[in-house]
Amino acid sequence: MRTRFRDVMLVAATAAVVAALSLAVRPIAGQAPTGVQVPAYKAARTADGKADLNGIWQALNTANWDIQDHEAKAGPHPELMGAYGAEPAGQGVVEGTELPYQPWAAARKKENFEKRMIVNITSDPKRHDAGDPELKCYRPGLPRANYMPLPFQIVQSQKYIMITYEYVHALRTIYMEDHREAPADSWMGWSNGRWEGDTLVVDSTGFLPYTWFDRAGNFHSDALHVIERYTPISPYHLQYEATIEDPKVFTRPWKMSFPLYRRMEKNAQLLDFNCVEFVEDMMYGHLRKQPNK
Amino acid sequence: MNQRILVSVSILTVLISGVLLATILVAAQAPSGTPAAAAAKAATTWTLSRTPDGQPDLQGYWTNLSFTPLERPAKYAGKEFFTDEELAEEFKRGVQHSYDFTFQNSAETPVYDGTVYALDAWQNGIKPNRRTSLIKDPADGKIPPRTPETQKRATERAAARRGRGPADRPEDLGLGVRCFSFQNAGPPMLPGNYNSNYLIVQAPGYVMITYEWNSEVRIIPLDGRPPLSQNIRRWHGDSRGRWEGNTLVVETTNFRPEGTYQDANPETLRMVERFTRVDADSINYEFTVNDPTTWTRPWTVEVPLNKIEGPMFEYACSEGNNSLINILQGARAAEKAAAKEAR
Repeated sequence: MRTRFRDVMLVAATAAVVAALSLAVRPIAGQAPTGVQVPAYKAARTADGKADLNGIWQALNTANWDIQDHEAKAGPHPELMGAYGAEPAGQGVVEGTELPYQPWAAARKKENFEKRMIVNITSDPKRHDAGDPELKCYRPGLPRANYMPLPFQIVQSQKYIMITYEYVHALRTIYMEDHREAPADSWMGWSNGRWEGDTLVVDSTGFLPYTWFDRAGNFHSDALHVIERYTPISPYHLQYEATIEDPKVFTRPWKMSFPLYRRMEKNAQLLDFNCVEFVEDMMYGHLRKQPNK
Repeated sequence: MNQRILVSVSILTVLISGVLLATILVAAQAPSGTPAAAAAKAATTWTLSRTPDGQPDLQGYWTNLSFTPLERPAKYAGKEFFTDEELAEEFKRGVQHSYDFTFQNSAETPVYDGTVYALDAWQNGIKPNRRTSLIKDPADGKIPPRTPETQKRATERAAARRGRGPADRPEDLGLGVRCFSFQNAGPPMLPGNYNSNYLIVQAPGYVMITYEWNSEVRIIPLDGRPPLSQNIRRWHGDSRGRWEGNTLVVETTNFRPEGTYQDANPETLRMVERFTRVDADSINYEFTVNDPTTWTRPWTVEVPLNKIEGPMFEYACSEGNNSLINILQGARAAEKAAAKEAR
């Protein structure tokens, strides 16, 4: 993991230099994506003339710890985990400092954080009442999947744009045709996509209420509505923006944004992070016939 | 909402009736792989479509459901294909069995209500298959004999398992019950108990195959890159693809020991799959199992992929895994009750 992080840093640094060079020779023109100060970039095209988003991408931020501003701190169980488990500092990805929680929801967010490591597995939906779903290797939902510290791959066809996350091979189908309302609730939601110029706009609903936005306990309800914008801003970057609506939890819609970096390693590919096997003992170990055997 | 068994909602509203069954039987009468069907297709001037970047188009939703078993039943020994009469009879029997099974799973069962979830073969686009066994090579339709080395592996594993109950610990249960991995995502892609649905999507340099059961994913690079190091093993192996004419050929190695098909040797197993679009509604899918340390010769299986309507649904297995906790809790409760009884 640490090696991967370092590699990403190197790649990101390289990409930033290359991008800066390409910006220097490219005259500024046209429309910048919402909320981001970047010169216009004419994205590479697919054979059918759309912006080409194919590739392996990864966020390079600490939003999975906390989407808001946060200082570095010891992680859970520092007596065991030491520096391995510590939380890095990070500037928030949320526009504005505070999240517009309704009063009850602000209290619930605090409670979520305090109980983030509670694991109470039952054979009914009560299992989802407490604890960060990430701890239990559940699908991360949206928009969290996009800033997990693992890469994801976009496979872009005309009818479907598929996003596969290395984290527990969470999968999204973005329907570019045949838009419809979510026929069933799910962890990753139901996504209808459309192009606005070179920006892929994805409208997602049909979420289960169980996913969180981060390890800090930021959360939503089943009324979550996420509108994402993926805009190519260089051959190596997508600008990502998500508008979050949830009238049951927030007093108004709010936005987050951050760049996604192309993974540039030669022969980069997604590998397996099938964490289901890593959490089995934590979740079901107490049901062994003989403890620790 | 039970997430282990996400349902095909479009089917929820369908009235289950004898009339519907009859319709399915009639609609499915023309087997996709038969000479007659092929001739009929040829007459309709089907041409292979291509993706914008020029690949033969394999995209869309497919099912590999088939009533034909992997190995040839004794009663069809020496016979590779059914006659028209046998085919009709076998298919009718299969549909009837699947239909009856639907109603065996009532709302009271702990599994699922078969009348609501619509997961059985007759409800999911199964088509007749003229083969008497999915195995086409060897000619007897049987898995070839195993090597003595494999026998030794099996014996060692059985010895390690001896003395334990069926559910002493999670590790005693199958990969599916534990939501680790569902092998039918492939390779090899073989029909499962339900959710035998695939979505194939192509982009320049990649073919992606997703499988509904556990929302499994395979992303197959076509750019001729070298295989992964043997130090990195994957639940569905590591695949590399190439086009040979209009056939997609995918070679896969680097399997994980726990997830290796038919208890093959993950060190030596090389799976070769071939996908060929044969008409608007079907892909011919073949795979060859190469593993000289496990079988005395390679063997090849052919399964048609038949076009179905989408969409596929998220299958969040571990998120709603009631089975695992119920099985383990049940086993502990039974032990407690037995101990009490003994006192």
